[in-house]
Amino acid sequence: MDRAAIVHQNFLHRLAANDLPDGPAPDPLIPPSKLVEIFRSQTLSRQLDRISRVMQSKGKGFYTIGSSGHEGMAAVAEALRPTDMAFLHYRDAAFQIQRAAQVPGQQPVWDMLLSFRAAASDPISGGRHKVLGSRALNIPPQTSTIASHLPKAVGAAYSIGLARRSPPEHRHLPDDSIVMCSFGDASSNHSTAQGAINSACWTSFQSVPMPLLFVCEDNGIGISVPTPRGWIAANYTNRPGLRYFTCNGLDMAETLIVSQAAADYVRRTRKPAFLHVTTVRLYGHAGSDVELTYRDKAAIEASEAQDPLLHSTRILRDADVRTPAQSLDIYNEIGKTCARVAEEVMQQEPLSDAAGVMASIIPPARACAPSNGPAPAAREQVFGNDIKQMSEPQPMNRLIGWALADLMLEHSEIIVAGEDVGKKGGVYGVTQKLQNRFGPDRVIDTLLDEQSILGLAIGMAHNGFVPVPEIQFLAYLHNAEDQLRGEAATLSFFSDGQYTNPMVLRIAGLGYQKGFGGHFHNDNSLAVLRDIPGLIIACPSNGADAAMMLREAVRLAREEQRVVVFIEPIALYPMRDLHAGGDAGWMTRYPAPDQRIGLGEIAIAGVGTDLAIVSYANGYYLSTQAAQALEDAGIKTRIIDMRWLAPLPEAALLEATKHCTNILIVDECRRTGSQSEGIMTLFTEAGRPRVARVTAEDSFIATGPAYAATLPSTDGIIAAGKTLVAS
Amino acid sequence: MSRRTAVLICPGRGTYNKAELGTLARTHADHPLIAEWDALRCDTGQETLTALDAAPRFSAARHTTGENASPLIYACSYLDAKAAYNSHDIVAVTGNSLGWYIALAAAGGTSAQTGLHIVNTTGTLMHTKAEGGQILYPFVDENWVEITGEQAKLHAIIAEINDQPDHSLALSIHLGGMMVVAGNDAGLTAFERAVPADDTRKPLRLPNHAAFHTGMMEPIASLSRDALPQTLFTQPHTALIDGRGSVWHPRAADLDALRSYTLGHQITHTYDFTAAVKSAARNFAPDCFIITGPGTTLGSAVAQTLIALKWQGIDSKQAFLQRQSEDPLLISMGREDQRPLAL
Repeated sequence: MDRAAIVHQNFLHRLAANDLPDGPAPDPLIPPSKLVEIFRSQTLSRQLDRISRVMQSKGKGFYTIGSSGHEGMAAVAEALRPTDMAFLHYRDAAFQIQRAAQVPGQQPVWDMLLSFRAAASDPISGGRHKVLGSRALNIPPQTSTIASHLPKAVGAAYSIGLARRSPPEHRHLPDDSIVMCSFGDASSNHSTAQGAINSACWTSFQSVPMPLLFVCEDNGIGISVPTPRGWIAANYTNRPGLRYFTCNGLDMAETLIVSQAAADYVRRTRKPAFLHVTTVRLYGHAGSDVELTYRDKAAIEASEAQDPLLHSTRILRDADVRTPAQSLDIYNEIGKTCARVAEEVMQQEPLSDAAGVMASIIPPARACAPSNGPAPAAREQVFGNDIKQMSEPQPMNRLIGWALADLMLEHSEIIVAGEDVGKKGGVYGVTQKLQNRFGPDRVIDTLLDEQSILGLAIGMAHNGFVPVPEIQFLAYLHNAEDQLRGEAATLSFFSDGQYTNPMVLRIAGLGYQKGFGGHFHNDNSLAVLRDIPGLIIACPSNGADAAMMLREAVRLAREEQRVVVFIEPIALYPMRDLHAGGDAGWMTRYPAPDQRIGLGEIAIAGVGTDLAIVSYANGYYLSTQAAQALEDAGIKTRIIDMRWLAPLPEAALLEATKHCTNILIVDECRRTGSQSEGIMTLFTEAGRPRVARVTAEDSFIATGPAYAATLPSTDGIIAAGKTLVAS
Repeated sequence: MSRRTAVLICPGRGTYNKAELGTLARTHADHPLIAEWDALRCDTGQETLTALDAAPRFSAARHTTGENASPLIYACSYLDAKAAYNSHDIVAVTGNSLGWYIALAAAGGTSAQTGLHIVNTTGTLMHTKAEGGQILYPFVDENWVEITGEQAKLHAIIAEINDQPDHSLALSIHLGGMMVVAGNDAGLTAFERAVPADDTRKPLRLPNHAAFHTGMMEPIASLSRDALPQTLFTQPHTALIDGRGSVWHPRAADLDALRSYTLGHQITHTYDFTAAVKSAARNFAPDCFIITGPGTTLGSAVAQTLIALKWQGIDSKQAFLQRQSEDPLLISMGREDQRPLAL
């Protein structure tokens, strides 16, 4: 017999026999009606698990990973307020149901069954995934099974104190709220979880407010691997800046009392706490999981004997609130209700077509207060003597810094955060003076952990800020890229556009630093970014473009709620000259603050039609160098700076090259996985036969004299151009 | 075989009119509770329900004022609800406006006697102290489907009028395909002038009503709280759905909160009957909805709400009537032809 059926039968038999597990009497201060309410939430959670299996067996439901065994989370919800944003573990249906009782007009049975159904009318994900979540309940949806939602919980918690001092226009969380995130004992081992907990401790240790409640639901096993006995307690009892609480999650009364104490501690002290809730897992890991293949029957039955609903029934009995027979009536009544509602839900149409699935990849635009730009007097005060230099040509790093300052002056919700961005002003000086100009609240020196930087940004964006986080070097993104790929980029998708985390992620990257750094400071692959649906990649080649593209990036984030990655070519930061030393050919003047370069807007230099060179960043710089030699060879050339790498500006590229006989793609990223692959495909599919490419080799970048050996060069571009034209 | 499940819906003011005169005697003659309620009315020097119901002719001045209309409706509706419990498995109870007090009693949130006491008290306060009035206005077409953008337009009109000096106007009740607005005379008159009136729809001023479910009722709410203590409230035995669509589950209700809502928010804020019906459908999915008597006017509001939800595929008045002719989803106990289905 299926374990769900066994657990159900056990419940019926043991209640009939009044054979309930032992445990202490509940705190008499808990009102009887509250115990009944929590028991009802627990029971509804259980019955939803059961009905999900029925729906699946009829081909009308598509997800059966349940919350059975974790029903104690209803008591945790009761200890919190609906204004406390909750990032939930996937076994927390009971939490969401109990919270639904705290907010008028909710319909948890209907909503959760629609989620099982993957119905287009599912109110949280629009049928895209079975997720817990609700806009009304302040529960953003999570798809993580590995605690990758913890970094953003840290960010959201940090944002509450920040918003108190400087409230953003789209603020969401009240001053007295806290943030809660929950996860399993197994996923607490994940480096992402460890990083987030460490970040919270690091912050709290410095007495910076971090009102965050970590809730670890310890059922003792991660899919098939047991958690060592005592591991969670040993790990978290004595962490700096983190208060540890523990309760028996099988006992709803104890869980409520301890959760209230933990929530009160976090709310009062604005410091993080770790609530360790011990419980059991029923039904195995998921519907397809046969637990007996890795766990002995006695252990499974021992867990089942500790069914939290049996404990709750015992508590209701011992407090003279409900007899076991009366509790059974509740269980059956809720079971019937679920069955009736499920019949209706099974008639709802599931999400089915690609357009419907994709409708929320790009978030909806939001109304923002209009601005006339930074006031002249304020600019004078902030920039001081820099204003005089703005009329003179300057290298890119200075212009990006000024553009950031202007944007921060205009939009108080912009927060810059990253390693060394504050006092030091960034490794390449881009953020110099920003912290002096806008204070440490808005220019945050973070700890050295990229997952935490991105989590901070995602979490702050949940509370109305427009974060501009910085990843110091492109290669450092890779240990954190899931925060973009799995979290930031998917939030609108999985919430049907109801939750967003707009941001502009600045990353210093690409190659050509003369002799410095080797691979880890000269990474030249953007492949990890360019296939993420909805993500925008900007990559300027010069200072004026960078300033104007950064303004557009911030507009896209602030008004259209987009996630934008802004790749800054390190080698071009200080670049002054183009052809010869002292020619100042690559410096530009700072464009007026109201000037922007729109998304998808490309640049075209020259009018030649023999050859079009399509490139970006360093490749565009080198192609500009090469153009003279090509013209000298009689090849009429035009050079196109794509500027925006994703989405690929396809229409603009086709239009810009339509009269050109030959097209040469110059891509400084690696031959495999680089933009050049997409551009070659674009032109080939458009019927352009004479297309070639110059790319970096499929190699890592060396340090020392060979720093550019594997990368496109001016000579290489000239040669490739000539070869193509002559072919 | 298990009984059919039903959600009970109790009606509000304006449902005991000329056609309903004599309903109490006709539907529940000699029910012992009537004598108890009459005794309670005698104690307070009020005309008995029996006498009101047995009047030779209907008098608006006598039968539609709060102190008389409310208890009469309460009595008819409560006894209908009791009868429906005998025929159906009642999974939840809700009501519209005054119907909230009736639902409260019908679900066990207070006793039958106390329910009448509450209705009598609030009805009398409304009659003697309350100001303003109500207007009913539809925003659906002849097929009971919402006219696109109409609700938003009406909300804008309400807000604009309320902003004018000496004008008070607010949304009083979300009532399916209709809205009830309430305010002072200046506000109501301005609304009547501002909205279209033609053969298909026109604003209907409700006689002897006050500005129920608006901030103008705050003094009434305060007097109600003075008069009606916490001890009058008990744990419901059946789920109760309030005028926000919230569910008060059996024996799981916080009675302080229940009183606070009943004598506070519910009196002074918009009553969302539409949300209550939506909650009834989606939280309980009953086999049918039973509207207790007296009167038949609430049926359209319930049907319009179900149409808006596309409940069980019903997406128009025609589809609703078709369904009603085959297997009634909605049973109106105030209708002679449907009443037997609930008994």
